Amino acid sequence: MGLEFLVRVRRVSLAAAAIATLIVATYVTPLAGLGLACGAAWSLINLALLQTLIVSVISPAPMLPPAARRAGFALLGLLALVPAGAWLLFHTPALWLTAGFSLPLLAIVFKAGSRAVLESRAWAALTRSPWRAAALIAALLVIAWWALPAAFRTERAASASGRAATPAVAGAMQGAEAAAKVEGAVAKAEGQEESGSQKFPNALELVTRAFPHQRWAQVLHHYEAVVFALFVGLMLCVVGFIASRNPQMVPGPLQNGAEALVEQLYDFVVGILGPSHGPRFFPFLGAIFVYIFAMNLFGIVPLMDSPTSNLSVTFALGLTVFVYVQYVGVRSLGVVGYLDHMLGSPRNLTGWILAPLMFPIHVLGELAKPISLSCRLFGNIFGEDMLMVGFATLGIGMLSFAHLPIGMPMHAIFFPLVLLTSGLQAFVFTVLSTIYILLMLPHEEHGHEEAAHPAH
Amino acid sequence: MNFQAALALGLPLGIGIAAIGSGIGLGLIGSGAMQAIGRQPEATGKIQINMIIVAALAEALTIYAFVAMLMLNGLIK
Repeated sequence: MGLEFLVRVRRVSLAAAAIATLIVATYVTPLAGLGLACGAAWSLINLALLQTLIVSVISPAPMLPPAARRAGFALLGLLALVPAGAWLLFHTPALWLTAGFSLPLLAIVFKAGSRAVLESRAWAALTRSPWRAAALIAALLVIAWWALPAAFRTERAASASGRAATPAVAGAMQGAEAAAKVEGAVAKAEGQEESGSQKFPNALELVTRAFPHQRWAQVLHHYEAVVFALFVGLMLCVVGFIASRNPQMVPGPLQNGAEALVEQLYDFVVGILGPSHGPRFFPFLGAIFVYIFAMNLFGIVPLMDSPTSNLSVTFALGLTVFVYVQYVGVRSLGVVGYLDHMLGSPRNLTGWILAPLMFPIHVLGELAKPISLSCRLFGNIFGEDMLMVGFATLGIGMLSFAHLPIGMPMHAIFFPLVLLTSGLQAFVFTVLSTIYILLMLPHEEHGHEEAAHPAH
Repeated sequence: MNFQAALALGLPLGIGIAAIGSGIGLGLIGSGAMQAIGRQPEATGKIQINMIIVAALAEALTIYAFVAMLMLNGLIK
């Protein structure tokens, strides 16, 4: 018991609030989900502040500066919570706000109850024999099977009269029949939405649905890939800052991971570009790898979307590499040397005769690089997203007969594949960028490296 | 056969044909790399990196067909 109990309560109610918010935002209205989330957040912050206050007051030396400062902060936070709660009450649905508020309290009650039950003698007697335990589980499952759909059906019937999908349908149908019809219509509409928008709903989409007529919400939704890309970049900056802020001789887990990643990437880039050029280009190439990898993986974070499943983001990345490669070419070869490279480096008569033919080939080859880079990345990540959405839809369809707001997590089996493709595509993008840079550098210095890459 | 029916038939077929070519290419790349690793196990790292690069190039062709399908997909009403 004690603080550890509160930590567990916080964890459970966070998870429960997230799931409940998703369900309410999908099945009731997005604004209701927002209210639920705000209420739960308010309640959790309240609990945490109360805990800090009590801990600092009952600590052995409550009058010493650190404890007193903590108590003061907690008191100030509690005072600030009151107007915040009032503001929330006026701006979000009060019913859902209260539900969110009571969620952590419910978690406490359930946890305490389950503790009491689990430590009782009757429970021990019941679970000692596996047969009795199996019978208990079967009984619980049967009760849930009968009770849950019935509960949801009555709730739907109550809300159906309020929502009344279309007046004509609702007017013609009566009672339970109307409820069943509306339920079918709602399910169908959701199915269409799933296949129409062709993506998992993300946080920005939920915000846009909550405020459908606000200009800023529409702008956010329209540029969601850019917003997510910026967010990923910001996140990486913060993680990099934290990992390198206080380097230790014996590194912690974060610093260790960051160092391992950077060293691997450094060895790889230097292995291709050679020790004289490698360190110069490593920051760009390493940043590209980490950024693309993080953006690819962002798609399997709930409520987020991978920015690389949008062609504009991947094309921006490809264009960056293209411009940088041309800059490196002009910088390291000089203008004359660059033109000479584009002409195919003619050194004898045959070379000069072929030069007019080589020039358009080289120009086209350069122009094809950003297109092939961006289309490959986009196609892979977008296809992977489509796969996940398709199988998630299948999982929803598998349980649709039970009328529960849940589905089978069919797409979970593709998580390993997603991890593999995300890493592989980020790697391929980095490798190809490295090789484009390598091709632009003066040739004599890496003749032996060229032999290692017969494909280029 | 009108335009949209032709598109609806042709787009998936095009991806399938592109996938045949990519599949043959990937198979050749894989078999070559495996043989090379079998002959010279100490060069596994280098061979694998090159194999991944070439495999990405071969696989990209199918993805171009996929992207083309996505672009023309909206024309099927």
